[in-house]
Amino acid sequence: MSKLDRGLIDVIAFTALIAFATAPAGGGAQVNDERAHHRQKDHSDHRMVIDADGMVMNYNENELPRDCAQLGEDVTFDVHVGVRYARRGAAFGFDLNEWQVPPCARVAVTLINDDSVRHQWMVHGLPRYLYPQGMFHLEANGGSRKTGKFIVPSDDRTYLVHCDMAHHMEKGLKGQLKVGSGSGDLPSVPGITGARRPDRYL
Amino acid sequence: MSQTNQHRHQLPGRVVGLGWLVVMLITLSIALTVLIPPVWLPPSLQQLRYSWLGEPDFVELPANQPRELNLPELPCDPIIAARGEAREIEGLQIMRSPSCNPDHPADVAAFVKGTNNISAATLMETLLTVDAVDKRDDLDGDGDPDRIHIRLEVVELNGKSPEMSQTVPRFEIAPGIAPGFWVFAPKTRGMSTTNFGSLEANRLLRMPSPVIRVEAGDEISITLENTHYLPHTIHLHGVDHPFRDASGEGNDGVPGVSERMVFPGEARTYEFKARQTGTMFYHCHVQPQVHVMMGLNGMLVVEENRPDNWLQTLNVGAGHVRYPSVASREAYDREYDLHYFDVDKDLNDLIKEYNDPRLIAKATNRGYNATQRTAEYYLLNGRSFPFTLLESAVVVDTGEHIKLRVLNGGLEPVSLHTHGHKVRITHYDGVEQNPLAQITRDVVFLSSAQRLDLLLDTKNDGLHSYGSGIWLLHDHREQAVTTDGINPGGDIGVIVYEDYLAANGWPRFFGDMRLYFSPDYYAGRIPVWSASDPEGRFGEPENQPVTTVRLALLGLVGFLLFGTLVILSRRLVRSVKAR
Ligand SMILES: [Cu+2]
Ligand SMILES: [Cu+2]
Repeated sequence: MSKLDRGLIDVIAFTALIAFATAPAGGGAQVNDERAHHRQKDHSDHRMVIDADGMVMNYNENELPRDCAQLGEDVTFDVHVGVRYARRGAAFGFDLNEWQVPPCARVAVTLINDDSVRHQWMVHGLPRYLYPQGMFHLEANGGSRKTGKFIVPSDDRTYLVHCDMAHHMEKGLKGQLKVGSGSGDLPSVPGITGARRPDRYL
Repeated sequence: MSQTNQHRHQLPGRVVGLGWLVVMLITLSIALTVLIPPVWLPPSLQQLRYSWLGEPDFVELPANQPRELNLPELPCDPIIAARGEAREIEGLQIMRSPSCNPDHPADVAAFVKGTNNISAATLMETLLTVDAVDKRDDLDGDGDPDRIHIRLEVVELNGKSPEMSQTVPRFEIAPGIAPGFWVFAPKTRGMSTTNFGSLEANRLLRMPSPVIRVEAGDEISITLENTHYLPHTIHLHGVDHPFRDASGEGNDGVPGVSERMVFPGEARTYEFKARQTGTMFYHCHVQPQVHVMMGLNGMLVVEENRPDNWLQTLNVGAGHVRYPSVASREAYDREYDLHYFDVDKDLNDLIKEYNDPRLIAKATNRGYNATQRTAEYYLLNGRSFPFTLLESAVVVDTGEHIKLRVLNGGLEPVSLHTHGHKVRITHYDGVEQNPLAQITRDVVFLSSAQRLDLLLDTKNDGLHSYGSGIWLLHDHREQAVTTDGINPGGDIGVIVYEDYLAANGWPRFFGDMRLYFSPDYYAGRIPVWSASDPEGRFGEPENQPVTTVRLALLGLVGFLLFGTLVILSRRLVRSVKAR
């Protein structure tokens, strides 16, 4: 293994600044304010990690969402992903499609990829002042696992979880993360809700 | 007479005399003849009508439909175009590439150095994984890596979503036109779209499947990581490769013949060490009438083994090679990869109908009949005109030698015509033609899967070039310069000289091309000469006015006539039965 390799395989850590700098423009004035605010603070506790096993984006184990007076429970769970978890008529699957955590919980997720191709566990809709693009992201190479931590806000809300590779959500990799009691169910979550535009079997 | 009829006839007031009915029928028929707009009648009847009723009155012909021509902005973003400036990244001199949508220099640098050998900052600028193109081990000690490991994924573009009517992730070949595709794609990380709010595929997920460039003698591994929901393989067409790899695994990509298909979620590595150079081809060999035509095919170039020969292993979207090989730099000033393709939307749009892989397999393998195929879309480097102008213009200068590598990845033949130039065919299917017997001509022909290497010499001598300008480069089969029948479209490209190029990489055309960036144009809703015909001499006329009163009367008469006919026919039936 070359030196250069080891350089990359050793965890490459970036502050969220890089993600901010490369984030697409047009997020609106509020987002830009948040960006500016964020730059000044320069914290290094949520970050981007890329290595041979995959990547973690917006890792955050310390910084509390504004609405959380104190850190909630520590919640730990594994997520398995692969073709073997696919439901009928899908190609891929998570072992579970819904996860529930208490408000302000610090969630440690390990994505265990049982396939030989990449998969992701990506949460959307988190507060953008903490999570660039409102996103927490785990990505595991085929046969690998990846762990990351993030802290959820306090309000009861349902967050979209998916694998954002082309057509992986459509082909089974969709789930929901409920904080507290959640805010209802998302559409076409396998095993939970039906498709809005279902196929016809005639 | 039956009981029932007897009974009916006894009811008073329900019976109209037969004579009255006949009078009514005649009156109504005359009214209909007068009221019916003559244009609705066949010409012979019109003549008859005029000979009875006299010549028609003069009526002004309809005016044009009022239409405001909203010309869209040219989608030529100077920030994106600036990526085309010559740049040094990772110690590499990335060539200037004047274009509205040049390849990202960081992507080019990553493909040249290897994603494992670049700085974290450069890798961050790309969308690639660390192992997307792994390069190591200078086995022959000539200054470049000789063990190359390429990882390809399989990506669906413009497929059905179970949640919304839009197809995802979106890749347009022309304004408003997004057929379904499956493509090989470099191994990327993160989101498949440009951002969460967008449905647009990111820049590395696109048609055509990327051009692969390798050096002869290198140990090449291509791992197919099947991220798609159907089985696939890779067949290395024309590329020197063993039937089985070192471990005895099948290596030719043909299901059943050499191997088992690579199922969803699985990976297989194809290995080769090419002894011969040339412009070759690779494609999936599973249900090829479906999979190849869905987009799973690309160009594979084997370059000569030279010292310090760092190759741009992948050329995403084909087109300009921003980091050509040593051999190419010696003989040519610029190099372009041109991938021609054609699409039958009856096949490609099936993936917009279904989400369940079983239904997609059924519809594509058993429902679709490739022997009935017709092509609607013709692509150059994955796009049709005018998008070809944004990223696939062949930019040249006077007195240059330009290498064009041409692949016909489609099923329709290609008769490629170079306006203003005659090109020399140096290689057929990767094999050099005897230099003494090489042919120079202005239409070169490629049947399906064929490749040609062309020398475009811009010496202004009236033979090789007629001088500077913007010269069309297009398939001369005229249906191929349309997009589903609307011209200009299809695989029209250009050879454009530097002095005809604006700073943003857009050719300085004589006319206004903005009309062609309107989706309405390719939907057939805009008269084709709108931009050059301000008076609307060839505009779209309003429908011929037929007055409302006339239409209402016509409706009434028609209704009464129909009623009369029904009553009469029932009478007739009854009287026949009675007898
Ligand atoms: Cu996935
Ligand atoms: Cu295939």
